[in-house]
Amino acid sequence: MAKNSSPAVGKRKHGIDWVALRFIAPALILYVLFIIVPTINSFYYSFTSWDGISPTIHWIGLRNYQEILSSSRFHNALKNTFILTLFVSVLENAIALALALLVDNVRWGKNFFRSFLYIPVLISGIVSGFIWKIMYNYNFGVINNMLMQIGLGNFRQDWLGNTHLTLISIGVVLIWKSAGYYMIIYLASLQSVSTDVLEAAEIDGAGPWQKFRRITLPLISGAFTINFTLSLINGLKVFDQINVMTDGGPGFNSETMVYLLYKVGFNEGRQGFGTAVGVVLLLIIVVLNSIQQKILRSREVQL
Amino acid sequence: MESKRRVRPRDFVLFAVAVFVGILFIYPIYFAFISAFKSNGDILKNPSGFPTSLYVQNYVDLFQQSDFFTAIWHTVVLTVVSEVLIVVIVPMAAYGIERRPGKFTKFCYSFFLAGMMIPFHLYMFTLFKEMKTFHIFGNFIGPIVCYISGSVGFGTLLYCSFLKGIPMDIEEAAQIDGCTPFQTFWKVTFPLLGPCTGSMVILNGLGIWNDYLMPYLVLPSNQAKTITVEIASFVGQYSARWDIVFAGTVISIVPALAIFVAFQKYFVKGITAGAAKG
Repeated sequence: MAKNSSPAVGKRKHGIDWVALRFIAPALILYVLFIIVPTINSFYYSFTSWDGISPTIHWIGLRNYQEILSSSRFHNALKNTFILTLFVSVLENAIALALALLVDNVRWGKNFFRSFLYIPVLISGIVSGFIWKIMYNYNFGVINNMLMQIGLGNFRQDWLGNTHLTLISIGVVLIWKSAGYYMIIYLASLQSVSTDVLEAAEIDGAGPWQKFRRITLPLISGAFTINFTLSLINGLKVFDQINVMTDGGPGFNSETMVYLLYKVGFNEGRQGFGTAVGVVLLLIIVVLNSIQQKILRSREVQL
Repeated sequence: MESKRRVRPRDFVLFAVAVFVGILFIYPIYFAFISAFKSNGDILKNPSGFPTSLYVQNYVDLFQQSDFFTAIWHTVVLTVVSEVLIVVIVPMAAYGIERRPGKFTKFCYSFFLAGMMIPFHLYMFTLFKEMKTFHIFGNFIGPIVCYISGSVGFGTLLYCSFLKGIPMDIEEAAQIDGCTPFQTFWKVTFPLLGPCTGSMVILNGLGIWNDYLMPYLVLPSNQAKTITVEIASFVGQYSARWDIVFAGTVISIVPALAIFVAFQKYFVKGITAGAAKG
């Protein structure tokens, strides 16, 4: 209704809307120039053996993609990416939801706790990686130190060096850093759940668990879909913490797709191959995103 | 209504849990702050202990042994210049999209939002090649234009959803009084977008302040780059001087924390508006 009485009158049915274009042009030009053009170029370069420096670029067809399919280093990176992403996304959402429920129900200091739990989000990936790297240190780190003090010295670990724990230890840092962000989204969604409905359910004899299961959970499912997709996509893109904590090691134990892409591109001069890995990453993200859209849309129909 | 409820034992339990969880979450940051005021020996000997005296030699060493002032200056320039340009360019585009409905603007909206999916790591190699062609590699223009283009997707989402809630009566009145569309936007609508601009600056600015890969790879390597890049390089370089790295860490965290405390409400609004449309 409001749209028909648009103040920017005089729009045309045919041809280009010049007024709109003049408003959009600066953003459009920069966006096309520095995101779309390099993205399209990347598709081209993923079919080349480009090293990133030399001016001559050789077209090698599907060879980079064939290497992706056959390379055990890529398979390892793919496996690491999925373990890390899944571990982080599942726990991140469980913890963020628990935090949101906690903050929503706590009687005193609601806003204070909300802000407090958000603070790790403010810190850069590099800084958070460094802080935890020191806390994880075998000899001088606080974590082993505390385990000793409470008599659990046997559980001391080389948290980042033990190949079974490396990804989990990195994952803990990621969860710690981002849970507050997802908590804010859950919290907004929880606060939109009407108290009338909850009270009506209480009068009808529903217990706390039933209220949560039958009313709150279905109503926050939209937030859950969004958060889970966001955390999956962010998990796929993790770089800073790996860079500062393990540099992909020990060996290749924490080398993810993004880290592999970075290393082959800048350390081994194989930017064509690195770009092909990036294309695979984009495809995964597009698939995840369209699944999210589908789920959200099917829910809208149900409601 | 909430406050009239009787205090139940459950409230104390929940409060205790919240305090415990809060301490758990803040501990690593507390750890960074206490370590930043201890000597290296103290950090190793007694990592969880509170500093015995206010030890600031770390900071003296930090600024003497590295060009940290330059790094701070670079970080401030990158963040401020990018954000100023972003809050001029992005709301303008959102206004065009939201207030001039049509095929073209509808396309722009989806086109911009689609960009949020493209990972920087995919196109960074070709981006750098392109930047070299435009001679914006190795200076500040390169990262700044990339930060602007990188903010278009999220910014359009945020501003468009906010614009939907602003009634158009005032804009119409301005138009009748003879304002051009640009005058209407800048004089009438833009001031009303204040809270949204607050969210944008804070969420986006934090991303630029904390960014690592872009300044690390693009800025000239013969001088200090940004705070984050310097800290990352210290980790390798001064692997035996944790105290210096912690001092840098505190310098990186404090401004972000101060801005957060001052503008908290915008954080919440920005995050929830961004997620509402996904």
